[in-house]
Amino acid sequence: MTDARDDIAFIRQTVEEGRNFAFGRSPDILVWGIALAIGFFANYAAIMHPFGFSIGWIWLVTLALPWLFTMRRTVFRKPGTPLRPGVHAMAAVWIGAGIFLTTLTIAADWSDAFREGWMNSVVAGAFGFCFFASAALLKLGWMRVVAVGWWLGEIALFAIRHRPEACLLSSVLMLVLLAGPGLYILLRGARTAP
Amino acid sequence: MTDFDHTAIDELLQSRARLAIVAFLAGADEADFSAVRDATKMTDGNASVHLRKLEDAGYVAMRKQFVGRKPQTLYALTETGRKALLDYVAHLEILIQPAAKGERP
Repeated sequence: MTDARDDIAFIRQTVEEGRNFAFGRSPDILVWGIALAIGFFANYAAIMHPFGFSIGWIWLVTLALPWLFTMRRTVFRKPGTPLRPGVHAMAAVWIGAGIFLTTLTIAADWSDAFREGWMNSVVAGAFGFCFFASAALLKLGWMRVVAVGWWLGEIALFAIRHRPEACLLSSVLMLVLLAGPGLYILLRGARTAP
Repeated sequence: MTDFDHTAIDELLQSRARLAIVAFLAGADEADFSAVRDATKMTDGNASVHLRKLEDAGYVAMRKQFVGRKPQTLYALTETGRKALLDYVAHLEILIQPAAKGERP
């Protein structure tokens, strides 16, 4: 009886390793986490100690570089290798959220709505949604915890939306809850993949 | 006693090595040979023998591609393989149920 239980536990663990391998092949989350953390920290620094040039240029670089990194997969994908349905759904969730956040950032910057302070909260909520959807698609329970972390961050960011520390908190959240999970799945993937 | 049918268990998946390959591929969608070998902690020889058996049974599909000039062998679980794994797990769960209720199988 214990053997049957052991076998089921073994199967579950191995399936999870496979999922981590599939997800861990992509360092995109790590790259986005670091780039956005830099962007938010630069924004905070610019508020505290003005640079003398527009923070918009730093945001342009910290958004354009990870987008180029993400798009490399589409540009360099070999013909005849379509994405599998699970990977396709994951890509749709993350790229959809990326387009939503990028267009909203451009619109908010253009209309000078950043000063209202809600943008950081929206970004955190969107990442919470992405991790929650990823947890369901990949059946990885720990990603739900990350999603909850993002939503708690969303509330905290809304509470301090008129203070410069909101950018600092966003930067920390990007490092801990985006780059952190990215690094974790990359290392787990590296353990199972060559 | 339960009406558990021992003969219904898939003999191909009774090997831990083959079970590990099938379970890994169930999560990974598709993986190359060295990823399967490393994940299941097998030698090259063992991994290729077990993968061949699974391929012959139609549980695993293999395709080859070139990455630059380097050949790469990719494996994916077929629908037959996925169904076999789900059936195997279902059988194990039937085996566990009486124990959970304090019965003898």
